[in-house]
Amino acid sequence: MIRRVMSADWLKIHGKGLWFLAGLGPLGLVAMQALNFGLRYDYIKQEYAMDLWGALLENISFFVPVALYLGSTLICSLMANIEHQTSSWKQLLALPISRVTVFSSKLLLCLILLTISCVLLSAGVMILGLVLGFGTDHIPYGEIVRIGLWPYGAALPILSLQLWLSLTFSNQAISVSFGLILSIVSLFSIYLPEWVPLVWPYLAWNSLQPMFYSIFGILLGMLLLLPGALHFARKDVI
Amino acid sequence: MSETIIETKGLLKNYKGRAAVKDLNLNIRKGEIYGFLGPNGAGKTTTIRLLLGLIAPSAGTIEIFGKDLRHEKMNILRKVGSLVESPSYYGHLTAIQNLEAIRRILNVPKSRISEVLDIVSLTGEEKRPVKGFSLGMKQRLGIASALLGNPELLILDEPTNGLDPSGIQEIRDLIKRMPQEHGITVLVSSHLLSEIELMANTVGILHQGSMVYQDSITNLQQRAAGEMRLVVSEPEMALSFVENRGYTGVLQNGTLCFTRMNDTTVAQLVKVLVEKGHAIYRVEERRQSLEEFFLQVVGGVSHD
Ligand SMILES: Nc1ncnc2c1ncn2[C@@H]1O[C@H](COP(=O)(O)OP(=O)(O)OP(=O)(O)O)[C@@H](O)[C@H]1O
Ligand SMILES: [Mg+2]
Repeated sequence: MIRRVMSADWLKIHGKGLWFLAGLGPLGLVAMQALNFGLRYDYIKQEYAMDLWGALLENISFFVPVALYLGSTLICSLMANIEHQTSSWKQLLALPISRVTVFSSKLLLCLILLTISCVLLSAGVMILGLVLGFGTDHIPYGEIVRIGLWPYGAALPILSLQLWLSLTFSNQAISVSFGLILSIVSLFSIYLPEWVPLVWPYLAWNSLQPMFYSIFGILLGMLLLLPGALHFARKDVI
Repeated sequence: MSETIIETKGLLKNYKGRAAVKDLNLNIRKGEIYGFLGPNGAGKTTTIRLLLGLIAPSAGTIEIFGKDLRHEKMNILRKVGSLVESPSYYGHLTAIQNLEAIRRILNVPKSRISEVLDIVSLTGEEKRPVKGFSLGMKQRLGIASALLGNPELLILDEPTNGLDPSGIQEIRDLIKRMPQEHGITVLVSSHLLSEIELMANTVGILHQGSMVYQDSITNLQQRAAGEMRLVVSEPEMALSFVENRGYTGVLQNGTLCFTRMNDTTVAQLVKVLVEKGHAIYRVEERRQSLEEFFLQVVGGVSHD
């Protein structure tokens, strides 16, 4: 059942900029660091001579949470807007499929796109390091994979929230501005207490127990999906 | 009597305390083309949304194919094709891709796409992005989408909206063929009685959320067919005389008005009046148009 709905959704997202966005995010982060390292190459090489890979990861890690939030916000919004734009909900939801299936299909597609982004990020970091001549002797494979996946897991609560907002309000200005505000606030993660879920993607890299924040994020994200899906399944479709 | 396809009991939908549809008891039988009529804001679209499970009723029950919509929604919707209000489409996709997106969910054979495109005469335009379609073409695509799953019940909300005269004719013929050729039951809404009259067998007139008239089109046409008017000498005497003989009429500005009657009855009426010695100056039939009838029915309900 869900496979059929997903294959329909797969067709609908063609030419809507979702694939482009999924590629642009990681590419942008990597390009930014390429510029940063390119311009200050000599200085950085001196300063971090011991751990060039570590320096690259640390520099990029600062921007990963905000990129994840912006990415989730825009992907959810673009995805939902395909149905809002010409009020296609009334057609889609009058088909013989449950609303929970429709909701899950949209969720899975967002997750797939973001996963692709995160894998691309890891790949991009690796390629950048090699291009900058950090050498192949000490490639921190584990860390490189970790920077792609753990902050992603920790960002799931916000993804759940954005998905629900985008699906619920046909005016995408609402979900997008909310997502933008969250993204900007997340830039100040260091100043926020650790129990604020918004901070978890940052902590999923910069803390003593990064994995825990990722796991908390996944759990809370799943928990937040329930009321969202339930509301979507019951609401009046106008 | 053939089986009932749609049955609602005491259907009510409140929007912020105001009833958009109230105490609606629909009964639509298999193979029927049911015309759902009402002025703007009467509650036609609201009723259709309720029937499709898009919105939940505030009270009342809906049974389609004899099954409760609340409990067997998926089984019901599998056999229903619908078009609600303005056409829904994905503008960036072509007509074929639009239908394919629905086909993947309905799981019908691919060949069905070209079949429905052919039915609504969109063949030749199917490879263009739909955002470049005219309103009528989008409407046709919407009807094609409704037909895609080989439905047993077709629910069309103002399907001829935005179509040109030949398009209206085409869709009307298409709708009329549905029960004959495929045994499909059709519920079609409109705010034009003249349009419903040309395709439906049964008509239900909705006004401010309530059903104010429901009957077969033939009966409706008879009811609306008008009255006989006679201008005679000494009209008061004439009226009481014919009333004693079983005719029921009224006196309006010196004119005798009777409800519609057949030719023999008219002949007899004139004969008895002549024999009684009344001079007959004029015998005329005043036909009320269906639109007038519609306005009378709709206007006759108090505005609360
Ligand atoms: N989402 C909503 N919120 C509040 N009121 C609504 C909503 N949808 C419909 N209504 C009200 O319900 C009533 C019936 O609306 P409906 O759309 O069913 O009318 P209609 O018969 O389809 O009219 P039209 O011929 O204009 O399409 C109207 O008074 C409308 O204002
Ligand atoms: Mg309407």
